[in-house]
Amino acid sequence: MRQLFFRRFALVLLFSLLTINYLLFTASYAAEPPRRIISLAPNITEILFSLGLGDKIVGVTSFCDYPAAANRKSKVGGMSNPSLEAVISLRPDIVFLTIDGNPKAFEEQLRSLKINTFVLRSKRISELPHGIRQIGAAAGALENAEKLAQEVEKKINDISQQQKAFMSVHHIAKKTKVLFIIWPEPLIVAGPGSITDDALQILGVDNIAGNTVSTYSRYSLEEVLRRAPDIIFIGKGQNSMNEVSEGLLRRLKNTPAARNSKVFYVSDNLYRLGPRTVKGIDELAGHLQQ
Amino acid sequence: MKNMKIKMALIISLPVIIFGFSIIAGPRMINPFTTDEISREILFSIRAPRSIVALLMGMALGASGAVLQGILKNPLADPYILGISSGASLAAVLGIMGGAAFFGSFTIPVLAFSGALITGTMVGIMGWKRGGLWPERLLLAGVGLSFLFSALLMLIMSISGDEGIRRAMLWIFGDLSMSEWSKIPYGLAFVFPGILISLFRAKALNALILGDEFAHSLGFSPHRERFILFVAVGLLTAASVSLGGMIGFIGLLVPHIIRSMIGADSRLLVPFSALGGGALLCIADLISRSVLAPTELPAGVVTAIIGSPYFLYLLRRKNVLSI
Repeated sequence: MRQLFFRRFALVLLFSLLTINYLLFTASYAAEPPRRIISLAPNITEILFSLGLGDKIVGVTSFCDYPAAANRKSKVGGMSNPSLEAVISLRPDIVFLTIDGNPKAFEEQLRSLKINTFVLRSKRISELPHGIRQIGAAAGALENAEKLAQEVEKKINDISQQQKAFMSVHHIAKKTKVLFIIWPEPLIVAGPGSITDDALQILGVDNIAGNTVSTYSRYSLEEVLRRAPDIIFIGKGQNSMNEVSEGLLRRLKNTPAARNSKVFYVSDNLYRLGPRTVKGIDELAGHLQQ
Repeated sequence: MKNMKIKMALIISLPVIIFGFSIIAGPRMINPFTTDEISREILFSIRAPRSIVALLMGMALGASGAVLQGILKNPLADPYILGISSGASLAAVLGIMGGAAFFGSFTIPVLAFSGALITGTMVGIMGWKRGGLWPERLLLAGVGLSFLFSALLMLIMSISGDEGIRRAMLWIFGDLSMSEWSKIPYGLAFVFPGILISLFRAKALNALILGDEFAHSLGFSPHRERFILFVAVGLLTAASVSLGGMIGFIGLLVPHIIRSMIGADSRLLVPFSALGGGALLCIADLISRSVLAPTELPAGVVTAIIGSPYFLYLLRRKNVLSI
């Protein structure tokens, strides 16, 4: 009899403790926006800065170089190998991670140490507005996030409409064939699942590497000649890429793109899923409509 | 003896057939007599130089592997064991970090070649004692330098955020897609002398394998012969690294495969290892650019996947001669 009583008592105690714990935990999480934020991905850092949370960021990765203010934040290591010690010593209220580049085990480690985490699952342009809203919710900047997300949605929509209008005005019926080069030697191109491929789809053009087996794959030079791109984009800027691209472009000189001087060096705006992605799409649209 | 002749005819004709086939086959078959402009361009400015480079590189690796196993008296020796490839990679990466772009698309090959030669010389100096090169010293110096250079390479890779370096490493780990006609004369200029030296000194190599005293009694100066052959290996390996980065398997296992077919006489082993290596790399490259087209696979992966099972089969079925 007595044993049974104790067992029940213990159960009730356990249950109530759990409830209290739960209430306390969620209450603190919901009521008080985090004051010390760590971002473990460059695109999340950019989003956080655009949401006006720059002051609250206490740590970033060594890849977080945009905006300029991100360079002055303390670094906690790379994306794939952040330092657990560095993260803990900054006493973060929340750590933002991405499934696109941060190790899953690191997030589990943080959680086991009772550190709040948020994992961004957006990888595609269509998922960007949702991702921004989620980050806003977790970081306590709901309003700004809603504003930024809507802005992104509207801009993407505008660019896509504008491109359609351009194509109908100029009676372009056939889809323009485009190749986006990430690196020239060995030739690596933006394939399916990349932000760049999404951008090309939004612009209604045909990515000739849209059916490769992986996102960024080595691409066959002879297939480039065979598929004859009308436009070639080379990522990451004229200054850093023109010397290394020289040999490749010489070999592609008989493609329609090279013959009609439609080879363009573009910025790295499309390499990160964040506020700058829209600028990147706009940049491609500008070249397409030349 | 008749059997031997058939085998030799096979090893000689195989590279020729494979070479021809690797030009007309690829992601799509192309009739060599086509008049279609794009197809002609693909045949002559993409596939032909690429197959020639694959052939040259495979020949260099096969021959240098056969020679090196002889002078080091070690069946596990492969051209990369001397640290030449890690030296080449390190030189390429350091050059890129220093902003070297002076040779345009030749930059990485030239850097890799110089790195390979410098490393070869360093190994030679460390392997030198009492007026000659000693096999064990060479081997250990090569392994030691190789570890040092690989560690430095890893260090640079892990502290540098430069995207260019990561991409250059892709090239170093074996890539033939950038083969051009303009690279072939340079490749030839080093591969042919290397193979010729090895061929002319093949008799001496035979003697060295039997032991220094034996070589001496046959009238060869072991130190001198080893030095000449070491220079040939250095040239061959450096040339192969600068042609297409590092491609494993060929230098180590092709000589063993050939040895199990025609015996251990270096006068035959060296040229046939060269031919076998060339044929294997040619067909591996053909597969690597065709199976998942338009995506390309690294050629080294394919060489190992098709070569290793055959080697293991030989190991079980036949008595593989050690060196």
